[in-house]
Amino acid sequence: MTLTEVAAQAKPQSKRARGSALGPALAVPGIIWLLLFFLAPLYVVLAIVFGRTDPIFRTAVPVWNPLQWNPSQFNYVLSRIVGDNGIFGPALLRTAIYVLLAGLLCLLLAFPVAYYTARLSGRWKGLLLAALIAPFWISYMMRMLAWVNLLQDDGLVNRLFSLGGVFDVRTHWLTGQPVVVVLGLVYGYVAYMILPLYAGLDRLPQSTLEAARDLGASRFASFWRVTLPMCRPTIVAAVLLTCLPMLGDYFTSDMLSASPKTAMVGNLINDSVQSPGQTGQAGALVMLVLLVAVVPMFYYVRVTTRGDVAS
Amino acid sequence: MAVPNRPSPSRRQFLLRAALLAGGTPALMAFLDACATGDQTSSSAPSMKVASPDKPVTWDIAKDNAPIADGLAPEKAATLQLYTYADYVSPDAIKSFQEKYGTTVQVSTFNDTDEAITKIRAGSVDYDVFFPSYDQIGKLVNGSLLRPLNHSYVPNIKNVWPVFTNPFYDQQWRYTTPYTVYTTGIGWNNTVVPADIGALANPYESLWDPAYKNKTAVIDDWHTAMSMVLLKLGITDVNTSSAADLKSVGEQLTALVAATSPKVTITMYTDVPTGQIGLTQMWSGDIINAQNYLPEGATAEVLRYWFPTDGRGLVDNDLMVILRGGKNPVLSHLFINHMLETESAKQNFKQIGYQPPQVSMSPDSLVSDGFVAENIKTAIVRPEYYDVGYRILELEPDNDAAWHNVWRAFKAGGS
Repeated sequence: MTLTEVAAQAKPQSKRARGSALGPALAVPGIIWLLLFFLAPLYVVLAIVFGRTDPIFRTAVPVWNPLQWNPSQFNYVLSRIVGDNGIFGPALLRTAIYVLLAGLLCLLLAFPVAYYTARLSGRWKGLLLAALIAPFWISYMMRMLAWVNLLQDDGLVNRLFSLGGVFDVRTHWLTGQPVVVVLGLVYGYVAYMILPLYAGLDRLPQSTLEAARDLGASRFASFWRVTLPMCRPTIVAAVLLTCLPMLGDYFTSDMLSASPKTAMVGNLINDSVQSPGQTGQAGALVMLVLLVAVVPMFYYVRVTTRGDVAS
Repeated sequence: MAVPNRPSPSRRQFLLRAALLAGGTPALMAFLDACATGDQTSSSAPSMKVASPDKPVTWDIAKDNAPIADGLAPEKAATLQLYTYADYVSPDAIKSFQEKYGTTVQVSTFNDTDEAITKIRAGSVDYDVFFPSYDQIGKLVNGSLLRPLNHSYVPNIKNVWPVFTNPFYDQQWRYTTPYTVYTTGIGWNNTVVPADIGALANPYESLWDPAYKNKTAVIDDWHTAMSMVLLKLGITDVNTSSAADLKSVGEQLTALVAATSPKVTITMYTDVPTGQIGLTQMWSGDIINAQNYLPEGATAEVLRYWFPTDGRGLVDNDLMVILRGGKNPVLSHLFINHMLETESAKQNFKQIGYQPPQVSMSPDSLVSDGFVAENIKTAIVRPEYYDVGYRILELEPDNDAAWHNVWRAFKAGGS
């Protein structure tokens, strides 16, 4: 029996029936919020995806009655993901690869930083945390614009690599380089990864870790067999918090590349929202992203509920 | 923390459900197809008059939308709302108007005219004067968004090239006055691209030349960019409805990405002078405007522009129109008249780089008057271009969708 299982057995199940209306009352604001700002807009998106186009202005006209829905725009998108006409497939695959890579890199960068801040930094903790939050003070656009400057042909990055003119470095960073877009995503989102990881690591019960050491686990073994498994929900949450917004990101690719070669699904959505007559396609792509995002969300819910039972 | 009252799904259940979800999608599609009974009128739109040089259009003036009466006094204590691209009206020209009529002018900006029209229709701000391209005029008139002009307020129309007092897209200039004229050609920075692109047999082909990989760009406008591909192929119908032509354009765009990986942007006027973009499809107004964005130490000598000397390329013009929803129709007329005055037109040209079609500003004098550097005099627009140049027109909805689909495929980036 593992330590966590002992803990779970020792703790009696909390009574659901506390016998008051407090629970539902507390849930009301959340439910209203969800209805107003999630379900209602989702229905609007559906009404547009399956809606009509204004004959003169070619703008989307939502159709509210599901019986009159016209799936042509949705089918247009679905039928062009794979096969001969698969124009969207490569961009979707590209998005998945970029996001996975960027998410992984974020995790590799953020975990040690969060671990150090939460567990080893001692009295510097507050200062370090403030320093980690500092990038949030500057808008995402400004940070990307700064990179545009640095990465220009005659920018600081090329000058740095040329070691003061020893080498002739003329890398065109801003012309559709996938690596620049992925690193841009990492740079833009890594802070969102550090904070939840920090919160999770900071809350790890010290006693459990001490018990692991007392029972003879080495530093590495206690990290590998105790810290890491206990962090799993935190890691999943941090990865999701970072990767889900990345899935819809179009700005990074627009700013750091502007080349179709690095177009992500966010760019497809952005382009079709702005094209007359194609708003429905944008909505269809939004639905696709939503479907894809729902799967890891289920996984997250599963991991965290198990975590709750265990703790 | 919440305690679940039933066990969470096992890994196997989870995978099964995910698979069901994925597998169910095509069935959902079929189901929706079957259900789609209702209103299918969306694709077969009511016919909208599309103006072309062969079929000039005289737009009707609706009874409930008559021009304003003659001789009205300008609105008092009013704020004239202009709706335009960023950096597209000179602050000096606005200032002189404000001083002349003791009024306030407020400028709101948009990124593209489709976005603008959506916002105008939403009606949240009562914009007075709008600066669209002529290929939007059908939408604007058919959608009853424009106010017809009363010519008595716009005597300065005499200053503009005669072609614009009876243009094909608005015979008798009932709704429109010309604002700027421009061509679309190839611009380059000769420190990055020393070759004389203009001397090539087919300068458009240079954008497909792998030697310029990572240095090129095309204009982020589906019709302008795809028209350039057609011209490169020698197809001069830049509004083609031929599926074969559009297929070739699609193939050429794929080849373009493979060969030179161009940026798709509209920031050429700042990127070409700095050399960030070396060679690009470009609007003539942007290369002239690029003179204002040269980095320190550089001169306009580095800029180059090519447009067919016989005028057989893309020629365009933008308009000034009065919006029906505006609250200051008299001031709007007076503003248009002000912008057609030679002095304000010159002021404007100096700051925005887009040439006004003024009779008194002879194309040959623009270099000596210091508006345009000698080496980009090819960017000067001549009235005779409008006799032979190719014009981008509004497309029928189905054809418009076909064009957009090719552009979508390009912007999605291929494999």
